[in-house]
Amino acid sequence: MMFLQQFSGELLKLFARKRTYIGFAAFLGVEILILLLLNLDHVRRSISRVIEDAGYPAEDYLSGLTLAFLVLLWSVFLLGSLYLALVAGDVVSKEVEDGTMRMMLCRPVSRRRILTLKLAAVLIYSFLLIWFVAITALIVGFIHSGAGGLFVFAPMERIFALHEFGPGFVRYFAGVFLMSLSLLTIPSIGFFLSCLDMKPAAATIGTLSFLFMDMILRNVPFFESLKPLFLTAHMSTWVHVFEYQIPWEKMAGDYAWLFAINATLVVLALAVFEQRDLKS
Amino acid sequence: MIRFDSICKKFRGRPAVDGVSFEVGRGEIFGLLGHNGAGKSTTFGIALGHVHADSGQVHINGHDVASARASALARVGAIFETPAFYDYLSGWKNLRFFVSLSGPVPQIRMEEVIRLVGLEDRIHDPVRTYSHGMRQRLALAQALLPDPELIILDEPTEGLDPAGIHEMRSLIRDLRTRHGLTVILSSHLLHEVEQLCDRVAILHRGSIAFCGRWQDAGSGRARWILETQDSEKCPVVLAGLGIVIHGDGTLILPENFDPAEVVRTLVMAGVRVREFRKSSRTLEDFYLETTG
Repeated sequence: MMFLQQFSGELLKLFARKRTYIGFAAFLGVEILILLLLNLDHVRRSISRVIEDAGYPAEDYLSGLTLAFLVLLWSVFLLGSLYLALVAGDVVSKEVEDGTMRMMLCRPVSRRRILTLKLAAVLIYSFLLIWFVAITALIVGFIHSGAGGLFVFAPMERIFALHEFGPGFVRYFAGVFLMSLSLLTIPSIGFFLSCLDMKPAAATIGTLSFLFMDMILRNVPFFESLKPLFLTAHMSTWVHVFEYQIPWEKMAGDYAWLFAINATLVVLALAVFEQRDLKS
Repeated sequence: MIRFDSICKKFRGRPAVDGVSFEVGRGEIFGLLGHNGAGKSTTFGIALGHVHADSGQVHINGHDVASARASALARVGAIFETPAFYDYLSGWKNLRFFVSLSGPVPQIRMEEVIRLVGLEDRIHDPVRTYSHGMRQRLALAQALLPDPELIILDEPTEGLDPAGIHEMRSLIRDLRTRHGLTVILSSHLLHEVEQLCDRVAILHRGSIAFCGRWQDAGSGRARWILETQDSEKCPVVLAGLGIVIHGDGTLILPENFDPAEVVRTLVMAGVRVREFRKSSRTLEDFYLETTG
């Protein structure tokens, strides 16, 4: 009961801040922008050509579902990581910097409890942001192009697939759920850095730098054999749910790997923060 | 109520507090004094579990803060010199949040405390619109919720105007007399401490230089103030008696020296004495004597 009360207070703090909503507004803007650009004749033609080259009628698959998937694929990792890192990087370090953490710790509550509340709030935010993007992209996509089959083209993961509306719809939501799990790694890194003795901006920039560096290295062709070592390679595993034959074993391995990394980061964050001296 | 046992803490190899021990009894108002960097905030930080002591212990109501923090702080409230709140939330929501970390508090108790600190008209406004004095009062309200026995106040009058200082002083007095609270506070305003505190501890370079009733301490030799029109001859005549007069006209008489003898000698030497009176020693005098 007390945990729930404290947790609702933590959520109130998070969602009462205007900056929390920047991510939501930015994504809505990006979705609309992508759809407007997809409306351009030559862009539409090039997508249609890819579908038709595979022997399928473009008009059946250039649908709201396909557009929503493309929005997810193209925007969520880059833009999402920015907002997830911003919120997670702030969550502890900003309170320490502002002095509110010391006010909280005047209370008979453990540091572990406070961090658990904060982590839970950040995870809720992450899920909400990703599901907001997924659902609004679908709504905007349906308004723009109506229902139809799902065309999946993810060159980095070498996936090319076409699904009828029903199975495509199910796979879309399965993909969003798995993507939400994948992206939890971003708040985990941000949260860990936020618990160290550093400024909020440093925690955010540190998180983004790590992710982008990982992504850059992963895309170097000569490092192909090292791919399993890169975090972003495991994070992108959600796309495999769109393959005709879903590689469950590989995906389970990737998620176990991500879970282990996230759990380690959280445990380390708790241990480091427990030992910190909090002074003005 | 609260006991500090030989607490030591170093930051980057430099001692911030070094073997600090003192005890504050139930119902006392206790002042912790010291220059900036003397170790006051570190001492409070250790008492609240914000700072981990290298050695030593702090017990509140018999509970060790390091090993049983929740029990130790169950009946403790605290405020800092610059109280921090969530500016975008109202005072009420801030209180609700901080209080939720201690346990449920009935609305009626919250309203009572808000009235006590005089914030009832502005409690639903965002904290960003509050003056420094109002933030300080909000901080006091959060410290008084849910129902503490001990209040730790780190520079509670810092940044307040004279009216605010007076108001805070009255509030602190009320906390003891009406509510029976134990108060431990730090302040650079020695006049305030003098009026409020039963006992003081003076921290100097991380160690306790004095602890107790400052009025009872000292050499026992009285301080006198002499005013004359002859500022050149006077020190010479007094030097003949083995007395040194300071630039501000104060002097300390040797043990068992008759003050009338000073006046007689000066008058006999032709020094016109305008005033010669015993000085009442202030806490400030005592503090400066103690910290050198």
